[in-house]
Amino acid sequence: MKKILSLTVNGDTYEVAVSPWKTLLDVLRDNLGLMGTKRGCGIGTCGVCTVIIDGKAILSCLTLALECEGKAITTIEGISSEGSLHPVQKSFIENGAIQCGYCSPGIIMTAKALLDENPHPSDDEIKEALAGTFCRCTGHVKIMEAIKKVSQPAGEGASHAPGK
Amino acid sequence: MRLPRFEFLKPASLEESLTLLEKSGRKAKVLAGGTDLLVNMKYGVLRPETVVSVKGIPELCSISSERDGQTIIGASVTLTDLAGNSLIAGKFPAFHSAVRSVASKHIRNMASLGGNICFDTRCWYYNQSKLWRDARELCHRTGGSVCHAIKGSKRCHAINASDTAPALIALDAKIAVMKKGQKRLIPAKEFYRDDGIRHTVLEPEEMVTSIQLPEGNGNSQSTFIKVSMRKGIDFATGSIAAAVSVNGKGVSGVRLVVGSIASAPVLLEKTAQLIIESGLTEKSIEKAAETARSELGTLTNLFTTAGYKRHLAEVLVKRALSELKEKIGRARK
Amino acid sequence: MPRGSEKYSVIGKRQPKLDAVHKATGRSQFTDDVVLPNMLYGKIVRSTIPRGKILNIDTSRAERVPGVKAVITHKDTGGLMVGPDQQLLCEDMVYYFGDEVAAVAAVDEETAIEAAGLIKVEYEPLHPIFSIEEATAEGAPVLHKYFEDNYADEVTMNFGDAEKVFAESDHIRVDEFTVHPGHNTFAEHHVVIADFTLHDKLTVWTPIQSALLIQKSMAQDFGLPESNVRILSLNTGGAFSGKPSARPHHSIAALLSRKSGRPVKIRITADEEFIVCRSGSRGKFTLKTGVKKDGTLKAVEADILHDCGAYIEIQFIMLRFFGLSLQLLYKLDAERYRGRLVYTNNPPYFFPHGGGLVGLRFAFDSQFDLIARDLGLDPVEMRLKNAVDKGYTTLSKTHYASCGLKECIRKTAKTSGWKKKYGKLPPFRGIGIGCGVINSGGKGLYDHDTSAAFLKIGEDGRVSLFTGLPDMGQGSHTTMAMIAAETLGIVPEDITVISGDTDVAPMDIGAFSQRGTFTTGNAVKVAALDARKQLEKTASKKFGTRPSALVFRDKKVYPKGTPEKAVSFEDVVSDTLHSQEGRYVMGRGFYNPPTERTDPVTYEGNATLAFSFGAQIAEVEVDPETGIVKLLRMTVAHDVGRAINPLAVEGQLDGQVFSGMAQTLFEECIMENGQILNSSPVEYKLPRPFEIPEIAHIIVETNDPYGPYGAKEVGEGPIMCTAQAIANAVSNAIGYPIKELPITPERVLQALRQKGKANAPKK
Repeated sequence: MKKILSLTVNGDTYEVAVSPWKTLLDVLRDNLGLMGTKRGCGIGTCGVCTVIIDGKAILSCLTLALECEGKAITTIEGISSEGSLHPVQKSFIENGAIQCGYCSPGIIMTAKALLDENPHPSDDEIKEALAGTFCRCTGHVKIMEAIKKVSQPAGEGASHAPGK
Repeated sequence: MRLPRFEFLKPASLEESLTLLEKSGRKAKVLAGGTDLLVNMKYGVLRPETVVSVKGIPELCSISSERDGQTIIGASVTLTDLAGNSLIAGKFPAFHSAVRSVASKHIRNMASLGGNICFDTRCWYYNQSKLWRDARELCHRTGGSVCHAIKGSKRCHAINASDTAPALIALDAKIAVMKKGQKRLIPAKEFYRDDGIRHTVLEPEEMVTSIQLPEGNGNSQSTFIKVSMRKGIDFATGSIAAAVSVNGKGVSGVRLVVGSIASAPVLLEKTAQLIIESGLTEKSIEKAAETARSELGTLTNLFTTAGYKRHLAEVLVKRALSELKEKIGRARK
Repeated sequence: MPRGSEKYSVIGKRQPKLDAVHKATGRSQFTDDVVLPNMLYGKIVRSTIPRGKILNIDTSRAERVPGVKAVITHKDTGGLMVGPDQQLLCEDMVYYFGDEVAAVAAVDEETAIEAAGLIKVEYEPLHPIFSIEEATAEGAPVLHKYFEDNYADEVTMNFGDAEKVFAESDHIRVDEFTVHPGHNTFAEHHVVIADFTLHDKLTVWTPIQSALLIQKSMAQDFGLPESNVRILSLNTGGAFSGKPSARPHHSIAALLSRKSGRPVKIRITADEEFIVCRSGSRGKFTLKTGVKKDGTLKAVEADILHDCGAYIEIQFIMLRFFGLSLQLLYKLDAERYRGRLVYTNNPPYFFPHGGGLVGLRFAFDSQFDLIARDLGLDPVEMRLKNAVDKGYTTLSKTHYASCGLKECIRKTAKTSGWKKKYGKLPPFRGIGIGCGVINSGGKGLYDHDTSAAFLKIGEDGRVSLFTGLPDMGQGSHTTMAMIAAETLGIVPEDITVISGDTDVAPMDIGAFSQRGTFTTGNAVKVAALDARKQLEKTASKKFGTRPSALVFRDKKVYPKGTPEKAVSFEDVVSDTLHSQEGRYVMGRGFYNPPTERTDPVTYEGNATLAFSFGAQIAEVEVDPETGIVKLLRMTVAHDVGRAINPLAVEGQLDGQVFSGMAQTLFEECIMENGQILNSSPVEYKLPRPFEIPEIAHIIVETNDPYGPYGAKEVGEGPIMCTAQAIANAVSNAIGYPIKELPITPERVLQALRQKGKANAPKK
């Protein structure tokens, strides 16, 4: 039996009728047409479906839609504002951290969640955050570089605005 | 990889959760983080009619220090919140290390402590989609009567790969388990069963509500070591949680618990006794590592060969005890 | 930001990918993002036994499920064969666990899955074969009824007089190497949407390396003119050699669409990926190599056996590549080769990343090190002694117009500090070198290897560049734009690359055999030159100079030596349109590498104009107790001819080092009874950030005379060096040869035990 679910995605509130067995990923893509969040392994090991809820990087493929009642969710579509890119997106573009692009939304959201919580992470902290993601094209190398560049301490060319 | 159909219930309190579990009995499963249950439901190996979500229930989400020195952690506390708690990091470094090493940060953001304690056992003949499993006979766990992991075995040998389980046993934690009208406090070492199917003592309407960690004393040191192919994502190929207490006369207590190689964490009692009797020396550590091999029981070739598991256990015992010997030495100075 | 090198204004610039902004914002459309009106979802019913007879297929219950719009079995396929040995849907025999038997299309995926589960197939299992040894044993059952034995294909090659040359050798080694199967593990699983609602027009959305190949094969499958098959490949989420051509699910989706009268999407789910899309297979490489005592290589004899799996698909290509590749890297006087594919009831072998050559390179270059050790020679020095050079012609008459192999070897040795480290590291630390080569702009599928391109220039000076070459992430579209921009004297940001639709794009064989930069790049250059000539005519009239005296650079046009007279590129375009002729500027071009056909009997012929070369040095640390290998550092040098986009070249070096490292230390499909046991991304291991080593890049430029602006490929060359560099480093660290990939902890411990036995004092 479907239930009416009210959830806020990227600042907009939606009401959708969903079955209990639908995941947040299903609702984002199939109900709301937000295709930026991709389908990957479906079992939580690749990070391709990452969104941000309550400031944390969350796997939407393992989140039941009904658990998101009343929650504020941020997807890749919601992090650039007024036509300008988020600093993480800019850094990924400038530093060659995007190749085929399939994993990019999930990894960018992972990076954003990390930097919002910890604006100047150590190399190991970046690796720890990224260990749940998977990128065969870049081997994570330029992804690490792009995140490091955007997370340099203030006064060293920092361009990341925390808390956005 | 889709979820099957089910009824979803979201109680607002612990009391309501227990009432729902009592009503549903064997037909219900408790859902917290979803990183274990939902994965197995997508594989089609678990098909509960009802899923009772205990995520975010206030009584299950706190971390507190009691007057008697116990630390109580609610079962729905996420592993990330636990890992970020300075009280836990300061007082229980081995447990903290185990929590931090579970899966990936994404998973820890969602997974609950209760979920990891009860983490379902794993087997690569079982954790597969129906299409894959249809190529083989049903096993003990899927309604048949064979074991694919150990041919001819009359029991299930799926592996308990929880990282927190060995740590809780080593630290002598207690696990609070409730069903409607009843609460039990079970020592961690009695919570797990050496069986791939019923791997904990939980009854169908019961759920874990909290764990209690006893106050440590200044005379004990503990450690948790996890060996895995990849860091920050993998299940352990083998893990060990070790705790050693000393007094004026020498070693007064030893707990050595090897995880991720059998259906339950293996408490190495003979090996521990050897250290209590001989103390922590290079020679006794070598002997202990050898003794550990004989305490492991039958091992499978799941994920790695039985021989490698046995060898790794020996290496883990040596490394854990050596580390503790050094820590104790430093603490004495 | 300074643009380009002095000579070029665009080439050589670190250029962010032109489509990166779409990918960074989630706007890029991949096949699964496409939702068509009235679309159905398909699910394939697969064999649950590895070998056997189909006695009966009962689809009646499935057909009655509400929402099911089509069910197909073999009788709906018109007997369609998708390979010489492979029916699209099995009629009376299945050959591997996962073999396609039937399919369903329904209004949603849940219904399709439910209905697929209701299709009952009755099998009579037959004894399956899972190993090369069993398949080739005396009296083994023949798996495919039209063949006499289980050898799916055999290729032999003979160059020079191997017997004579071996007799002249001072030292001969024979070694056997084994490589285990893997999986491409792209982030985007296989997926297809087929719209066959109009019976004479088929439209297919799918990620693919070659729209042309799939267009041709589906046109053939359904008896349509090729131009009536439209392939839309919007973006491809990783291919790594694993999406070159049609697979059964493409035509299955088309059939379901034709039968139901609606478009049908089939998603290959994560579990199916590990059932049907196993890549690579178990290969046995037996190498006999003869050398002089000063380390000069003389002859190689190779016997290679690969488990073909249930169907040959397009794997026969590998046997030809193996044979020719043996002589590409080092100078040889003779080569004798036999390669065979063997049928088993494992899933069909398909190309792993590196097209299967990673295993060959590992075997060859590992044995090279063993020979160096036998002779007491430094592996780097011995490679320099034997490395091919510019101007060299191989035994098969392949000629090198450019070759930076020795430069790569010298530079990696210097940068990594080889001399200070080799033989001087503490126990369980090791250093090893590996060299590799691959063809650039490979030809051989057809008589031609033509890429075509055209472009149009708007009045505002912006260019639309049309190409059939896909961009799977390697940055090919950006590279094409840079080539066009350099030729026209504008900037890549003013170029929109239009691709991914065979109705619109000109011919291109596709992104494999390392064709992109070399072949399509040359076609783009020709097209841009064609457009430029038209603009030169206008500008030369305006300035009163010869066309050849004009400079097109930085969006300006001026006579050489007088930049102060410059007019804008846009103005020249506008003037051309507004002239009396009223010419709208368009450029077209094609490129077919002027090569010789390979002789089908002798395999001689200069079939590829250029090759990329590389050397890599790996440094490792081995934990002798757990057997776990930590890759500390990779020093990577690659001769790319010219780095059109150094940022993209580095990205390729990184990605392939990662992939090579993964195949060397982590990736293995653990097979049992024709099934993959470790069939999830947590048990089938790819390295993650903690495992990635430090990587030092060295780009070597030899300015190939045939490549566009001197450029050669970089899309698959680097991975040809990695496995053996790491394996040699591990051998160096533990003091025992490594002969099996991947180098798992258990294999390391086994090697240490064997070393212990080998060193044990004799009783």
